[in-house]
Amino acid sequence: MSTTAETQQANPLREGLATRTVPQACTVVIFGATGDLTMRKLIPALYNIAADGELPPQVAVIGFARRPKTDEEFRKEQEESTKKFSRQQVRDEIWDGFAQALFYHQSEFHDAAGYKSLAERLEKIDKERGTGGNRLFYLAVAPDQFEAILKNLKDAGLNEPRDGGWARVIVEKPFGTNLASARELNGVVRRAFAENQTYRIDHFLGKETAQNILVLRFANAIFEPIWNGRYVDHIQITAAETLGVEGRAGYYEGAGALRDMVQNHLLQLLCLVAMEPPTDLGADSIRDEKVKIVRSLRRMSAEEIGRNVIRGQYSEGAINGQAVPGYRSEKNVNPESKTETFVALKVRVDDWRLADVPIYIRVGKRLPKSGTEISVHFKKAPAVLFNRESVSLDQNVLVIRIQPDEGISLRMQAKVPGTSFRIEPVKMDFHYGTSFGKASPEAYERLLLDAMSGDATLFARRDEVEEAWAFIDPIEEAWQAKENQPGLFMYPAGSWGPEEADELLARDGRAWRRL
Amino acid sequence: MPAETFAPGIPVEIGKIDRELKKLWAEDGEAKTRASLINLAVYSEAAGSLPKNTQIVSEITEDHACRAIVIAANPAAKENNVEAWINVHCHVSHAGSKQVCSEQLSFLLEGPSARLLPNIVFSQLDSDLPLVLWWQGEFSDPMDPQLWAWVDRVIYDSQTWKEFPIQMERLETAQAEAKQRIVLCDLNWTRLFQIRLAFAQFFDHPSMQKRFDEIDSVEIAFAPGFRSTGLLLAGWLAAQLRWSGAKQTDKNALSFRGRKENEIRIAFAEKEVEPIGRCAMRCGSAQFVVEHAPNADLLDVSAGERACRMPAGKNDMVRLVGEELMRGGPHRVYLRAVNCVRGFL
Repeated sequence: MSTTAETQQANPLREGLATRTVPQACTVVIFGATGDLTMRKLIPALYNIAADGELPPQVAVIGFARRPKTDEEFRKEQEESTKKFSRQQVRDEIWDGFAQALFYHQSEFHDAAGYKSLAERLEKIDKERGTGGNRLFYLAVAPDQFEAILKNLKDAGLNEPRDGGWARVIVEKPFGTNLASARELNGVVRRAFAENQTYRIDHFLGKETAQNILVLRFANAIFEPIWNGRYVDHIQITAAETLGVEGRAGYYEGAGALRDMVQNHLLQLLCLVAMEPPTDLGADSIRDEKVKIVRSLRRMSAEEIGRNVIRGQYSEGAINGQAVPGYRSEKNVNPESKTETFVALKVRVDDWRLADVPIYIRVGKRLPKSGTEISVHFKKAPAVLFNRESVSLDQNVLVIRIQPDEGISLRMQAKVPGTSFRIEPVKMDFHYGTSFGKASPEAYERLLLDAMSGDATLFARRDEVEEAWAFIDPIEEAWQAKENQPGLFMYPAGSWGPEEADELLARDGRAWRRL
Repeated sequence: MPAETFAPGIPVEIGKIDRELKKLWAEDGEAKTRASLINLAVYSEAAGSLPKNTQIVSEITEDHACRAIVIAANPAAKENNVEAWINVHCHVSHAGSKQVCSEQLSFLLEGPSARLLPNIVFSQLDSDLPLVLWWQGEFSDPMDPQLWAWVDRVIYDSQTWKEFPIQMERLETAQAEAKQRIVLCDLNWTRLFQIRLAFAQFFDHPSMQKRFDEIDSVEIAFAPGFRSTGLLLAGWLAAQLRWSGAKQTDKNALSFRGRKENEIRIAFAEKEVEPIGRCAMRCGSAQFVVEHAPNADLLDVSAGERACRMPAGKNDMVRLVGEELMRGGPHRVYLRAVNCVRGFL
């Protein structure tokens, strides 16, 4: 979200051509080049950026992985997967040019010689393609590989900006499994790259509606004055999936819903909803405000965790009329697993704006419907006139839908036409897909462009990540405690989670919003 | 609802447009969503413009939901005649789940009733949405101040103008009298968007910017009828790179003084190509070239031995107007470019 001023000053021909920061020519080095993320997301995203004319033509991509492969074989593989996963059709005449900038570098991650030859290759590409010494390293590998890769990058001198260029690293989640491991990982990264060179990706922040939260709140004068405990009753954040673990059991067994979704994606959304207006749209101004929110999350004692955090696991049931197995019967899952596939939390932000506003978060797998949304529930109108006890009216609810069908809706009250005085809730509904015909770019496209432009606004900063773990850790610890361990509640696949999650709101006189 | 054709739709009485539109929606059993982000008024005095503009609007609404008000006027007609039609253009949304529909109101104004234009436009606007007026052809004098007071953006194509200075002066006068900001959107300028983008990217790296002072010549090949497009491209380079002292050196060349007082020659050549078929910039020993092969939708972009392809964009009204509607924003750079070559347009 940074302005384009700097680039415009540098290149007067850019003025008026773009409303975003301009990506700079660079070489993107992807570690884990034969993995799923590269094939499904990264190369298709880079191709789409190129097809839209936004990728500087000098950009080169080097896939770094262990398996022996030629450049040609790598290009062929990527062409096939891009044809399968790209949001727009792959055109041969664009792909041919794009593919010429794809290279493969075979090496073990811990082999220093592989990085020496990588450095030589990068220099050659700089000369041939004019990438100006700019390097973007993308760690699309498991975190246990980070240390070897980063140390070797440093030993090969690839972490240092050179010839007036820059070196940046993009780190994929999971960023640690708790505060200690996140700090350790941050230490590992910091030994090779400074914070302003580090881009921790959270693809939720690349989604159009997530970016629109700030626009909705701070570009519309009607919302900000009522965005506080005086007018807001409570906020709900829901991320529901119909899917189960889908081949990710190995990872998921060790992570669970809290680490997999809440620590990163949902706390990021919470920050955007709860933060104060930043002083400007610079990356650090926005992230400064976000980190204040994570810091303000009220820490819970073990007893409060038992009361305010509900964990669940799906048992067998049905999704869309199809029978599905319970989590413990999934492939590669421990038959006695206590991993949570559902979490509901009631959290409090101890700041002036939302001090009295409970925020309910729920995330779950094998729920009846997929959808991620934030709903802001406003207080009811005074109990006079239309809102007497006998005809208590619904609250106004502002819903920000993140996925699918991105959009915003506002529920309000209206008189039903007729001679009687019946009042019913109605919905003003804005759908991105309906109003704006053009399809939004994929989150990875936006985030890769941002990283090439040096705009870190939509990436998590070190302190954000660590503060989020500091909030999550006591919950995980309470769940692992030998005594007074909060229960793990089972829910049938295809239901909206365990009953205890409903009770979490019911005892406050509230209910989860129906998706 | 009527099957989609490029006829203007169901004939209606002007006073009953709202009622007939409601009926049109009510009669239809299928689930459809009406969407509108802008009022798009299209004005033309060309014969046969109504079906042609209906087709264009139908395609524009695929990406830009709007209330379209299409006006065909013939002020020179002797008989006074006003006719109106209503229509809807429906498309399946990109998400693939919804039929999204935009309304089109069409008017034929003949004779003195052509002066009713502001009155008709005002009464049919979707409230609170911006008004984009796409004026096809030349602006006539005097321009109705009533109309301009309501317009947020005016789209026109200076490529079709016979006398650029006169037309521009009328537009600027109307803009000044409107006492509100009207954004000027020249489709002739929009035609240059992808070429400008291709040129700009050559100079993104800070080390390339010293090349600006080494520019000694530029060659621009334009298609017959697109000289003004070529001049605008030259005006853009001159304005953004702060060249001064524009002079016509011969029929097909201009010269400017660069920032270091060096002479920069811009040569124009008319060829059977796309509006701008080729633009080559020479900076000392280096050459930067953007070529648009006939009917290709990709540009061939090269800097020395380095070459790549970038989107070219088609030279058709749907694409150009769609581009304008998507980008928005003021056109300061356009006005600077115009001012640099105004005397030659």
